[in-house]
Amino acid sequence: MLADYIQIPIAAALCWILFVTVDIVFRLPEKGGVKGAAAIGRKIREDGGSLPGGTMMGNIVSSPDASAGTLLAACGVYVAGLPGGLAAAALVFIGNRICHDPGYAGTTGAVLASIMVTGFAVLGFAPENFIAGMVIAILTIQGLSHPYASRLLTRIWGWRS
Amino acid sequence: MAELIALYVCGLIALFAAVRTVIEPHPYRKLPYLNVMNFAIAGLIVLVLSHPLSILAAAAYFVGSTLEANAIASARAAVMGND
Repeated sequence: MLADYIQIPIAAALCWILFVTVDIVFRLPEKGGVKGAAAIGRKIREDGGSLPGGTMMGNIVSSPDASAGTLLAACGVYVAGLPGGLAAAALVFIGNRICHDPGYAGTTGAVLASIMVTGFAVLGFAPENFIAGMVIAILTIQGLSHPYASRLLTRIWGWRS
Repeated sequence: MAELIALYVCGLIALFAAVRTVIEPHPYRKLPYLNVMNFAIAGLIVLVLSHPLSILAAAAYFVGSTLEANAIASARAAVMGND
């Protein structure tokens, strides 16, 4: 079994790839789901960032997306195994509906994350390291540098479209 | 041990995001930092209360805080436009 200080960065990288991929597949950078998300995207562009990436960041703020799904699924697997992760997916779907979002990105992210965390638990990874990893992953997108993060997301969005 | 390390990571990130939320002058740019804090606190709720039902508490907290951020950003955009 790998040491925790190695597991956490690996978990962070896996969570980052999972939630960014699911969000991009569900076209979160395309437009703001609500007025507030679009306004956050425009503000990030004004401050030296890029609009599609900023819009995706605004959408992450405004509704539980794949990143929230990944976090809550990791939490669910930590407290109750795979059924806990799937229960978290159901809660994310309800949360999406409350926020007037169709909920597909969040629910898909939660189901995929439940499977991923459970699978890695079999390989010897502790599910709590995925909770810490997901918090680190969202920090790199939303909490370190908005201009750089938005430009990176725009570049990944460019590959998709 | 793994639990403690995860707990400290979430705690430190929550603190860092809270400080950045406070020092960031523009309301729209406060919200992503606040979002990071909410992620870290949802993680902390589950790590501190290791009980099957704590996932309900974490999800309720997270969805509620997201709804608040959504409401603040959308209300501001509706009233003040893109400032």
